[in-house]
Amino acid sequence: MSTVLIFLAGILFLAGVLFIKPRAKQDKTWKTVIIWALYVIFFVIASIGVSFVYINASVGHVKATSTAIFLFGGISLILAVVLARVLGFIGTKRKANDSLQA
Amino acid sequence: MSVNLGDKEKGSKQDFSVSRRGFLKTGVTAAVMGVMGAITAPSKMANAASTSLSYQPSEGNWSKLRPKANYGGASVRSAEHNDQWLGTSKITGEVQRFDEQDGGFSLAIRGLLGEKAKYGYLTQGVRAPIALSLGFTVGFVSGPEAVDGPVSPTRLPIPDPEQMSQHIKDLAYYLRADEVGIGKMPSFAYYASTMTPPQGAFASGAVPLDAPIVKTPVTASLPNVIVVAVEQHLETYLASTGYDGISNSQSVRCYHASANIAVIMAQYIRTLGYNARAQHFGNYEAVMGPCLIAAGMGELTRTGDCVAHPRFGFRSKVAAVTTDLPLAPDKPIDFGMLDFCRVCKKCADECPSKAITLDPDPVPYNGYLRWNTDSKKCTEFRCSNEEGVNCGRCIKVCPWSSKEDSWFHEAGIWIGSQGQASSRLLKSIDDMFGYGTEVIDKYKWWLEWPELYKIQIPS
Repeated sequence: MSTVLIFLAGILFLAGVLFIKPRAKQDKTWKTVIIWALYVIFFVIASIGVSFVYINASVGHVKATSTAIFLFGGISLILAVVLARVLGFIGTKRKANDSLQA
Repeated sequence: MSVNLGDKEKGSKQDFSVSRRGFLKTGVTAAVMGVMGAITAPSKMANAASTSLSYQPSEGNWSKLRPKANYGGASVRSAEHNDQWLGTSKITGEVQRFDEQDGGFSLAIRGLLGEKAKYGYLTQGVRAPIALSLGFTVGFVSGPEAVDGPVSPTRLPIPDPEQMSQHIKDLAYYLRADEVGIGKMPSFAYYASTMTPPQGAFASGAVPLDAPIVKTPVTASLPNVIVVAVEQHLETYLASTGYDGISNSQSVRCYHASANIAVIMAQYIRTLGYNARAQHFGNYEAVMGPCLIAAGMGELTRTGDCVAHPRFGFRSKVAAVTTDLPLAPDKPIDFGMLDFCRVCKKCADECPSKAITLDPDPVPYNGYLRWNTDSKKCTEFRCSNEEGVNCGRCIKVCPWSSKEDSWFHEAGIWIGSQGQASSRLLKSIDDMFGYGTEVIDKYKWWLEWPELYKIQIPS
């Protein structure tokens, strides 16, 4: 089971890389580095969260499971939103309309 | 035709040609793989060559069956065993040997902790049927003929002490010990005297309640001690409050298992031609705490004389074999337990009898430093408990004791073994996730008869 999950995590990591690669290249190198660093941190925290919740839930640690869902899920969500915003997946439409009107 | 053949030959030569770069790459790869293979390959390869009695240990390994000592992720350092230190326990003066009859349960039997504690102890078996059944079987290996016996007059050839130590550890794992260590026997670990009849004889009803207790001086002094530990059942603890109907059985189950291992091991050593005496719950001549520390199996904790192992804390029961078999002792270990206990105090906060001290540091006690837990208060509660039978709440809640195997608990144990600041962090994380104090009902498998818990004091 753990082998399958690690394989799945690897596939998801690579899929994520392919998904954000077209938008990751920025005008400044440090911005590009930050994007990739954010992606890696997001992925590590999300993976730790999934593993932590899975193991605690299977043993029956109720409080640990619920706390971990909020903790790791919350951090992952915040990082995902920041990353999506920086990459332009969200929050850019209105800007485009504004420039059209101008 | 010949031209074509020549082209063909030339072509085939090209097919098989390897550039210098490619050749070097292949060479480096093969070398790296070889080195990696040599590093990671189990010692099976080397051991495959071993035959016969010349037991060939895996060099530097803990044992063949468990090549690495399993400390559950803790950062473990070696500590000293000399006249000033026993591991991380500071020896401040002469450590006086105890009389067994001054131990907690013995005081209860003698009526020195009150009538309720006395009759509570004596009826523990009746009040907890599983514990009674386990105790019944411990009885079979508790007589003097079981723990000791004649030594074979012919000494069989054995390997050198280091190899013999590995072999003894393998034997322990083979006999289903969860952990084993070998130490130099501290002289003060022997009782000054044992009590006759033993505690178990009173608890099992083998002797009348008013049987006179006689002190029998302990004169034995064997140089080595082999300590085996059997873990108390984790899932059962997860489902227990620590002081309900299964508490007593948790202990006696491991006393039974470790006693069997010790008795078999001692008999085996005597068959090899060396002195060996099993020390277990049913028939001790020695106190287990110092033996555990000397054998590199843990450090003292806030709970007084309980010794915690890096992997399973003090959620275990132990037995030992004292022997003159030539062995290479392990060193005591230091994994930061004292620092952790200084800041945690979870056992003291959760103790139903408030017997565990909240002192910041260990204090002088009988020639060494320890947290001065009130053992009389603890024993009185354990014997008088009417919500269940006996108590192991401190074991249940201890962050070192209450975890299943997983990567994040190993990470937590590593954090906890890094000093006081990181211990605070581990304690906070442990509390945040609710470990230790929770009761997980899905594992509650045992039956309870609360009507049995009430202690009957004869008028």
